[in-house]
Amino acid sequence: MSLILLLTQQMSLYLVMVYLVSKTPLFKFFAEAATRLPHKIFIYLIFSGFCIMATYFGEQTNDAIANTRAMGAVLGGLLGGPVTGFLVGLTGGLHRYSLGGFTDMACAISTTLEGFSAGIVSLYLRRQDKSELIYAPLLVCLVTFCAEMLQMGVILLVAQPFDDAWHLVKQIALPMLLVNSIGAALFMSMVRDQKTMFDKLSSAFSTQALKIAERSVGLLSKGFNQESSTQVAQIIIEETHVGAVAITDREHLLAFIGTGADHHIPGTPISSKITQDAIDNNCVMFADGVNMAYSCSISPQCRLGSSLVIPLRCENEVIGTIKLYEPKNKLFLNINRTLGEGIGRLLSNQILFGRFERQQNMLTQAELKLLQAQVNPHFLFNALNTIAAITKRDPLKARQLIQQLSQFLRINLKRTTGLVTLSDELEHIDSYLTIEKARFLDKLNVEIDIPERLLPFRLPAFTLQPIIENAVKHGTSHMLERGLISVTGKIHDDLLILEVIDNAGLYKLDNNSEGLGMNLVHKRIQNQFGSEFGIDVDCRKDEYTKVSIKLPYTETHT
Amino acid sequence: MITSLIIDDEHYAREELADLLSESSDIEVIGQCSNAIEALQMITKLKPQLIFLDIQMPRITGIELIGMLDPDIMPRIVFVTAYDEFAIKAFDNHAFDYLLKPIDEKRLQQTLNRVRKDLKPRSVSILTPEQLTHLPCYSGSKLKVISIKEVEFVFSDLCGVHVATDKEQVHTHLTLKVLEEKTSLIKCHRQYLISPEAISEIEIQETGAEVTTGSGAKVPVSRRYLKPLKQIFGFL
Repeated sequence: MSLILLLTQQMSLYLVMVYLVSKTPLFKFFAEAATRLPHKIFIYLIFSGFCIMATYFGEQTNDAIANTRAMGAVLGGLLGGPVTGFLVGLTGGLHRYSLGGFTDMACAISTTLEGFSAGIVSLYLRRQDKSELIYAPLLVCLVTFCAEMLQMGVILLVAQPFDDAWHLVKQIALPMLLVNSIGAALFMSMVRDQKTMFDKLSSAFSTQALKIAERSVGLLSKGFNQESSTQVAQIIIEETHVGAVAITDREHLLAFIGTGADHHIPGTPISSKITQDAIDNNCVMFADGVNMAYSCSISPQCRLGSSLVIPLRCENEVIGTIKLYEPKNKLFLNINRTLGEGIGRLLSNQILFGRFERQQNMLTQAELKLLQAQVNPHFLFNALNTIAAITKRDPLKARQLIQQLSQFLRINLKRTTGLVTLSDELEHIDSYLTIEKARFLDKLNVEIDIPERLLPFRLPAFTLQPIIENAVKHGTSHMLERGLISVTGKIHDDLLILEVIDNAGLYKLDNNSEGLGMNLVHKRIQNQFGSEFGIDVDCRKDEYTKVSIKLPYTETHT
Repeated sequence: MITSLIIDDEHYAREELADLLSESSDIEVIGQCSNAIEALQMITKLKPQLIFLDIQMPRITGIELIGMLDPDIMPRIVFVTAYDEFAIKAFDNHAFDYLLKPIDEKRLQQTLNRVRKDLKPRSVSILTPEQLTHLPCYSGSKLKVISIKEVEFVFSDLCGVHVATDKEQVHTHLTLKVLEEKTSLIKCHRQYLISPEAISEIEIQETGAEVTTGSGAKVPVSRRYLKPLKQIFGFL
């Protein structure tokens, strides 16, 4: 019985050591099956050490040593595989042999066998794709038990004289079987628990990070302001459970949520030194409240006691900070520090993306506006030239033309992007055509035939006029004969179809300026109403070009 | 007196310029044209010393027109344009005369003074395309523009220069010399140019050869042009 207690004592020492190792990075060598050489060497060294120590700590009993060596050999075999197990057993066995006694040979052989057989079990389990069973305490217990039975057998077979061996086995068999089996099982269960905890922790961390990323996606890319910052701060505090979260730009507090929100008012200028330092030096600042004191710069009653400040960067330039706080009575968790820095990077990327997207958008908008409102300079100067010529002959007519030109320019400069009625659009067209007719005289003839009931219909501004301008600019003005443009409107199956037909037939797909203007109208209609609407062009060379504009006709539009 | 021609497709633009020019007693406007085809005919016929040339005109631009003129009758040119960034840049670069619409009287006077000092035509070949892609033609009294790809052959007789396609024969004011220099047509006879693509048969005869075109028309080939013609098709 005393032997059991003594061996248990030994075993406890191992377990304490394992516990200590589990607190170091070395622990991961226990937690994974060894497949690579350095890892196997580590397993060999550790468990050989265990075997040797077990022999030394063993209890002298009848010229033999009762010990927990089997634990080292079996665990080495299970974690390292047959070769490593064999070597661990051999090392422990040779060491035992060197100490002498009548069981020296028997112990050497049996320890080697124990390590090797545990290795075989481990290999078998891995081959069967059941390597997680290696960490099952019950299995480990069973393997060790069998291994110890084997040892007892070997002692009886090898050690001489047999009577002494029989006597010894009777004395040590039970304690060694029990303690080694339970010890190995406990060892493995400890490894397993640590491993599960570690996995859980990292998965919890990843889940948290992913959740924040998922919930905050797109928020800051819409704009870095008080509203979006508050939403983001809310998400972070909900997911991390820190004391308080603040977001600032370079000068002001944009959002503050959590403990101390009563005196940290969004919109006020940044007052804390460490935030300013983080902005100025473009680095993460951490005041843990112990080594580096943190005290609220606004109110001495503030309960916040530690603070992490992470700069938000946009193209290497600090555009603000995000701050995590814990109150004085709570420790700032390391995990939140790492997470905080990750959040900082995530938000920085979002802001950068948002900025990029906005620039793109602004460019397209500007481009569209420019194109839409562009007054064709050739038209303008020719119009002025015509007016100059007419002034001498017919001042009244010249005055009318100036009126029409002003009207045309006014509408173009106003750059309405919304919907206008068809009758407004036709009025704009009339201004345009009055001038063009004065320029081209009888060479330009336009027939507009649109039923009166369609006039209140609303359509995007500058839909019809650019098409008619195209028909003149790229069509009839290039004709040697009389140019004729006809404009019609009709309703067909809930569609309003406006058609502009010229008799020039000079439409070319590759004509850039023509294509651009037409494309713009087409895109705007599709944006407004959907892809089934827009513009179709039909052209027969030297005969006609027909441009059809398809719009949805519903009562709501009228 | 400096004889001049106004070429512009807009009626009021021509009138306005004619009005302004009428104040200079030494400038005589001998004609007005509303497109390049008319202009080519008038320049060939009237041989003005000076032309006021609008750039943007139907089918054939002012720039294309000067590429069609025979260098022998090239007049002094004053370009007129409302707005044409690229052309204006080129005019400035080569110190060509140009006026902007609406025309500024002061600038017109300055330009006229330059012209009076030196009426010699300047080479504007830097502006004009090397090859003609379209030929200005008349079919009866109707103006017509024919793509060079459609042309089978051209020939001259007492009435002038004729352009033959597989469908019709029309009249042009382009000279054979310009056509030979600025198109892919090759000379096969003193009075004939032919498009190599239109040749379907060459029959050797005593005096030279006779070509049959895709549409079945016969074109004479004189002996001195036979060899180069055969070379094109790989006969040595």
